[in-house]
Amino acid sequence: MEEARVYIESGILELFVLGQLNAQEQAEVESMAAKYPEVKQELEAIEIAMEQYALLHAVSPSEKLGEKIMSHISLDPATRITLPVSPLASEINNQQKIRTLRFALAACIALLAISVAALFSTRNALRTAKDQIAELSVNNQKYTSTVNYMRSENEDLRKIADMKSDPDWKAVKLAGTAMDPKASMMVYWHVSGKHVMMDNSKTVLPANDNIHQYQLWALVNGKPVDLGVFDVRKDHSKILVNMKDIAGAQTFAVTLEKKGGSPTPTLDKMIVAGNVSI
Amino acid sequence: MAPAKKISISEDELVSKLKSQDTTAVRTLYEMYSGALMGIISRIIPQTELAEDLLQETFVKIWHSAASYDSSKGRLFTWMMNIARNLSIDKVRSRDFRNAVKNQDIENNVDFIDSQKEITFNADLLGIKEMVNSLKPEYRTVLDMVYFKGYTHVEAAEELNLPLGTVKTRIRMAVGELRKYFN
Repeated sequence: MEEARVYIESGILELFVLGQLNAQEQAEVESMAAKYPEVKQELEAIEIAMEQYALLHAVSPSEKLGEKIMSHISLDPATRITLPVSPLASEINNQQKIRTLRFALAACIALLAISVAALFSTRNALRTAKDQIAELSVNNQKYTSTVNYMRSENEDLRKIADMKSDPDWKAVKLAGTAMDPKASMMVYWHVSGKHVMMDNSKTVLPANDNIHQYQLWALVNGKPVDLGVFDVRKDHSKILVNMKDIAGAQTFAVTLEKKGGSPTPTLDKMIVAGNVSI
Repeated sequence: MAPAKKISISEDELVSKLKSQDTTAVRTLYEMYSGALMGIISRIIPQTELAEDLLQETFVKIWHSAASYDSSKGRLFTWMMNIARNLSIDKVRSRDFRNAVKNQDIENNVDFIDSQKEITFNADLLGIKEMVNSLKPEYRTVLDMVYFKGYTHVEAAEELNLPLGTVKTRIRMAVGELRKYFN
């Protein structure tokens, strides 16, 4: 109570109403007014007195001014805003929002562009990778087949080399006949085991077409025995080709027959022949 | 002009209309207070045309800033009067105003001396004469300088060559006499 009375008598409330205080002092008066009803009451009394004093000193503006101000305010776009918000503030707010949204939109577009670019470059990289994988797998297959080929070739070559230490293996060289004097061929025959193999690496025969095949024959006591058919291609896949077994052959010969072979040799189509040396 | 027009609307109602941007609130405020506000503005800026421009500016600002008015912190008139006075003081201190009225300085000084001699705008009105008689001249000079002339109380103390404490006391005494008079 005492504090309120002293405060009132200090004269600060009059200065407050007259707009003479700085922001800090104003806040102090406001908080005192909120705390002490008598301070609030005193403030209001001062305000009313000053209001009366101002009214007593009133000066009439010119008559048209009222209408001018009213039309100015009615034309103001703020009239349409019914919310108790300062229209200027909300307008500024909207402009700021629009500006912010524009920035956001620009940022989104930029991000989208970057994403699309990234997607494209990723797709290209993926395609390149796929191509490389395909190429590598083709290469891999090639190497595998090469390795397989070399392994079998190596095996065959070892077999041929081993033949020399086995006297039962006979190497029979077949020479070209009148049909093709340049032709030649090598056949290996195991006398006791009856195995017959032809050596592709030493075969010099013209490549056969699709409707004909070469047929190997053995002459056993003057009679021709079928040992199977084979093809001659530019690139053979194996060195040694197994043919049918035979015992007691004296001569080997090859004729060109229709595809699949014939039961008896067509003698005028005999291209190579060779006798077994004893 | 009558000191106050009687309009049957409560201040609370007027404030809520103003805050909801009802233009009729401005019309009512204009009818009630344009004279009082013009009185304050025209004592700081004597040129009628400029003073009326400022009165318009004052009402436009009242209209736009209605949301910022807090009735718990003071009466509506006090708030409006401060808007009018601040706009007027800003105008007086602006460069273009100083240049425009440079040649009228002498006239203004005469006007100020007149007010010290208690010859004011509405001195012919009965109300003022009565009131003037009830208010000691030394109180009134200080109060009018601060309330009507745009002086700060510190400036008034310097101008009148008085201690700041004396100025504060005189302001309080003047307001006290006004309260007695109006009651």
